[in-house]
Amino acid sequence: MAPPTGPRASSHASRPSLRGTRGGGVGKRRGTPRTDRDGDISMDSASAGNAPTSSTAHSTRGNRGSKGGRGARLSTRLAQNVRNFVSEQDGTVRNVKSHPNKVTLKIHGLKDSKAASNSDGGLRSLLDFLERKSSKDRPIALGRGVIRGDHVWLKVNPADAPHLLRLNGFTYAGATLTIEETGDSIPGPSNQSTDGTEPKPSETKDKLLAVLASRYNVEQKLLDLSALGTDQTLITMGAFETKALAEKSFKALMRLTATNHHNAAEKEASIQAVTIANNDIHDVGEVYTLATTLPRLRRLDLSGNKLEDMSKLSKWRHEFRRLEELHMVGNPVAGSQQYPAQVIDWFPSLQILDGHRVRSPEEAAEALKAWFPTPLPCLPSNLRDGGNNVASTFLRGFFTMYDHDRPALALQFYDDDSAFSLMTSTTEPAERSYHSYSRNLELIGLRNPSAHQRLFTGSHLIAELWARLPATRHPSLDLTEEWQIDCHTFPSLADPTGQGLAMGLAINVYSRFEEIDPTQQLPGTRKFSRSFILGPSKPGAPHPYRVISDELTLRAWEPQQTPTVVVQAPAAVAPVPTPPVTVQPPILDDATRAQMIEELSRQTGMTAEYSRLCLAGAADWNFDLALKSFQEKRGELPPDAFARPA
Amino acid sequence: MSANTHETNVRCSCEAAKNFVDWYYRQINEAKPVSQGYVNGHAAYDRAGHPPADICINGLVVATPQEWEKLLEQQRQAPRQPDPNKRRVRYEVEGYDVHVVNADYRFGAPQKMLDLHSPTDGVRIMMSVSVFGTVYFGTGRNKGDDYWEKRDFYDKFILVPNWDVIEKPGARHGRKYLIISHNYRAN
Repeated sequence: MAPPTGPRASSHASRPSLRGTRGGGVGKRRGTPRTDRDGDISMDSASAGNAPTSSTAHSTRGNRGSKGGRGARLSTRLAQNVRNFVSEQDGTVRNVKSHPNKVTLKIHGLKDSKAASNSDGGLRSLLDFLERKSSKDRPIALGRGVIRGDHVWLKVNPADAPHLLRLNGFTYAGATLTIEETGDSIPGPSNQSTDGTEPKPSETKDKLLAVLASRYNVEQKLLDLSALGTDQTLITMGAFETKALAEKSFKALMRLTATNHHNAAEKEASIQAVTIANNDIHDVGEVYTLATTLPRLRRLDLSGNKLEDMSKLSKWRHEFRRLEELHMVGNPVAGSQQYPAQVIDWFPSLQILDGHRVRSPEEAAEALKAWFPTPLPCLPSNLRDGGNNVASTFLRGFFTMYDHDRPALALQFYDDDSAFSLMTSTTEPAERSYHSYSRNLELIGLRNPSAHQRLFTGSHLIAELWARLPATRHPSLDLTEEWQIDCHTFPSLADPTGQGLAMGLAINVYSRFEEIDPTQQLPGTRKFSRSFILGPSKPGAPHPYRVISDELTLRAWEPQQTPTVVVQAPAAVAPVPTPPVTVQPPILDDATRAQMIEELSRQTGMTAEYSRLCLAGAADWNFDLALKSFQEKRGELPPDAFARPA
Repeated sequence: MSANTHETNVRCSCEAAKNFVDWYYRQINEAKPVSQGYVNGHAAYDRAGHPPADICINGLVVATPQEWEKLLEQQRQAPRQPDPNKRRVRYEVEGYDVHVVNADYRFGAPQKMLDLHSPTDGVRIMMSVSVFGTVYFGTGRNKGDDYWEKRDFYDKFILVPNWDVIEKPGARHGRKYLIISHNYRAN
């Protein structure tokens, strides 16, 4: 079996060229150096006077050449790489398509010739003519020329240029040709503008952004792209001159929509409805990018277009998985029989079609499940602590003391064998306060001394570390919706007295806390999970049980997303206003609450009990909201709600 | 001396945790079984009368590891999705940590093991392993692939030595440590 030639050739070939250029010894500019079939730069071939290369080099080349195609192809690519590398080193732009050594010719006269009426403007026949006339001594092949305005622009080899320039003044198809060499670069294709000045891309972008801004409705989170063909700004830009241009303009609008937002979540939240009604759309393929730009769109209005049958909608059949509402009135397809069933089948979340309810929210959720893996349901806390309430008693004491008196806590529940460590993830910001203590083995690695140093053992070390961590405030354990606590007992811990085995209690806590950054005094919220292993204490300890292991996991806290709004069937047009984002109320301790109750009671004259109900209800401990709701419902309250006549 | 200050114990627990985490999430990401990693059905523990592993998934107590596998399978269901890159569930571990909670673990241990390994050998150790990361739903095989939705997840394991494997030096198959407790939350 033949040895592989490709890789060997590559390692062999690239090295000499690197050395040659890096070393600085080769000072001469050679333009594009010649390379042989293997990509080796043959240093001698440019100057004829040099001695021939060694016979071994020739023989190797011969052998390689005989081995067939694959090696040769690799070598060609390699040669190109080497050429690119060298040209880069020379300071020229690294671009395979630019030909630094070519001469640009500008030819005038084609427009006046009879050939100008040919389908390609006479370009091909002119080039044939030039090739024929210039190829006297040797054949000359010309590349593609381009017509820009009155001139034909052409790039030719420097050796061919004199032969072509000699044709200056020749008559071609009834017109006199003017051929001149130029240093200008070939201008780009002219735009639609007729006055010769091309609009800058940034101006176009600004105009399109203005169009988007004027068509965005903040309250309804609606992007109104209906009847784009009548938009004056777009018409003056010439965006709808041809079908292809109209599609491109739509793509540009979509691209800007996508880049206008920081992230997908923000985009999703700010644009929930789009109307592209009355746009003369024959097939959704023309506006396909809408699906990739806003994949989680909730409401879409396609009415007044020209979609004939379901096949014209089929390009979107795997898109818009969250689409809850669709309007197709005024399209020919809306009259067909299978249309509603098919559309309902294609869009699993669809609840309202052309103003009619076709699915309940529950049915829609069920239909969507078939399309994507679904997270397992989440149940509340699972406390199995052996019937003595050890876990809840322990946690109640623990988090109160952790927030107020950490040194005392360390002495009460931790002993010399207790271990504590915390871990964070580096991908999360604002974690400086914890980062240098984080024992995240995935990030620091097993061999890192920190794997030992950041495992804090013994109550004194633990208390010392805790003193350096930011002050915290955990929510009250009475707020059960804030906490998920799972615990259970397990066997086979070592008994501290050395007498056999003992039972342990594993407690896993998931919640969040508020904290104050010690250096910048910045308040913040953090999600955490804490795992405790409790076991029996050594004799003489303040509690019958102690913490054997305490592992704290910290993550950035993200405000909860607004729950999916249930769509109500509207009369005609798609958008339905969504309620404002609910802000999580700050965690309040009981004392603050008592004060709020007292104050509300004082201002309204309600009893303490009714004041508490008012605050804890829809107002969710927002004093102003509670006061407002009191004023609204004052008339409905029973007399016994008031301590004294209000 | 504490189990967690002893260098060998710390090193061995870190290595065991890494080994375990790598294996466990590779298995569930490839929809392969994980039940052999639990204490249930292992001869030495069955003989000694060890209770089955305590498995609690999002607050739901699951009787056997096979049932947990069924839940994972249920989570992966997307029968109508034609695109394989929108059908997968992928767990990405962002961090893990381990503590030794008992360096002198004896339950079900053969006498030979007790004689051979002292509590500072890092072999007879019971460990608590905490793992956290992100689970992506409706995604492809690779990190960074587009996804439909994601959740933060936490896994807490308590591991004990698998005497059947540790006893045989050079054993090539089987997990060295087994799960006696597994607590999972994804929210």
